Amino acid sequence: MSDTDFPPSDDSIANDLDLAPRTNIDGTAMSSRQKRNWLPILVLAMVVVAGGVIVTQFLTSAVDYYCNVDEINVRDGCDDNRRIRLQGTVDEGSVVRSDGVTAFTISFNGASLPVRYSGEPGGIFKECIPVVVHGVIEEGALQGDRVEVKHSDEYVSVNDERVVDAQDLGCDAAA
Amino acid sequence: MTTIEPAKAEHDTARQSALPSQRSTATRGTRIIGIVAVVALGWLVAFGLGFSPADRDQDESVRILYVHVPTIWLAYLAFVVTAVSSAMYLFSKKKSLGWDRAAGASAEIGVTFVAVTLAVGAMWGRLTWGVFWQWDARLTTTALLFVTYIGYLAVRRLGGSHEQRAKRSAVLGMIAVVEIPLVHFSVKMWRSLHQEATVANLDGDTKMDGLMLFSLFVGVIAFTLLYVWLMLHRTRSMAMEDLLEERGLDEALAVRRAEAAETATAATSAPPTATMKTGSDS
Repeated sequence: MSDTDFPPSDDSIANDLDLAPRTNIDGTAMSSRQKRNWLPILVLAMVVVAGGVIVTQFLTSAVDYYCNVDEINVRDGCDDNRRIRLQGTVDEGSVVRSDGVTAFTISFNGASLPVRYSGEPGGIFKECIPVVVHGVIEEGALQGDRVEVKHSDEYVSVNDERVVDAQDLGCDAAA
Repeated sequence: MTTIEPAKAEHDTARQSALPSQRSTATRGTRIIGIVAVVALGWLVAFGLGFSPADRDQDESVRILYVHVPTIWLAYLAFVVTAVSSAMYLFSKKKSLGWDRAAGASAEIGVTFVAVTLAVGAMWGRLTWGVFWQWDARLTTTALLFVTYIGYLAVRRLGGSHEQRAKRSAVLGMIAVVEIPLVHFSVKMWRSLHQEATVANLDGDTKMDGLMLFSLFVGVIAFTLLYVWLMLHRTRSMAMEDLLEERGLDEALAVRRAEAAETATAATSAPPTATMKTGSDS
């Protein structure tokens, strides 16, 4: 398609009309401010904002999500005078619930620490399972305000568990 | 499924002869793939909710895994297809828009699958960890992957010619794909709440009950078939959209020519104040 049969002959009319061709010579669309669709621009702006928030969260939270119990005052960022996330396995027989407070000890690599948490931990919380506790260390105990239960990369059928239970192997079998 | 109305005879142009003769995006092939996909999804329901056992620790919530894991793997695949198609568009001599449409269609499906992964993952997190969301390495990088490809889809809709769309989205599609190893290996690179990969790991050790693993495998097959089916339909409907857009431009051009001709006639018989000012006030 060519545009040689266009514009019209009368120049004064041509001045009043937007006679810019809307297609290139090969028929493809030309970019035009008149056709600007604002929705993708709005979405892009939101994506940039969301991306900024996510990267900030990544740098402040996601990098090294937790410290292990044996790293308190050893590893950088794991000082006992600041708010930390501490990972350890709930010791067998250590869970005591009274007056809405759940107390237990967590251990990792030979080091242990008592934990006090106001409330009932959610998820699949139980003995012999690794947890990440958020909180502050006060008077030799971690005053937790959030308990997250870690899941390992192992998936075992509930039927197999009965066999293990029968053998009563304790924490070693479950962990 | 998209259908195209028959071309209006008065605006017939040469390009319309390129319109597909069919009026639907379905073919014999897609119907067969669709039926097999539905059967596979039926199998997934049977194995995922029925035959597979509950987990020792997670109990019944382990069943979420049979959707959570296949959808993110297919999203990885979809974004790799986007990157490869983008490269094919940019570096091939022919610069076929077919590659661009494949890239776009694959990204759309990938974004949908990541959304499913995030949604069912949050449910699993609430049941297992006790929280819906935490800014740990895996979750944060997956969120970044999700918004990046939403951005990619927005860039595709910025306007301009099909070639402009293809070129800029191809560059983005090839850059964004580097996020996939970042997401997958985030659990290795940083300490995360999310567990490490059980199947897609590099140590070749799969610590998973046999029937659970089989259910996961059924999920991967079912979602792969669904992906292929969606790809075929979406690329075809996108091809039709592109053709329709071009035809719409031709028609608009014809209408404007008619307007100009009318104005020309009116201008000779009426004072200038009555002249139509089509488009000039923008």
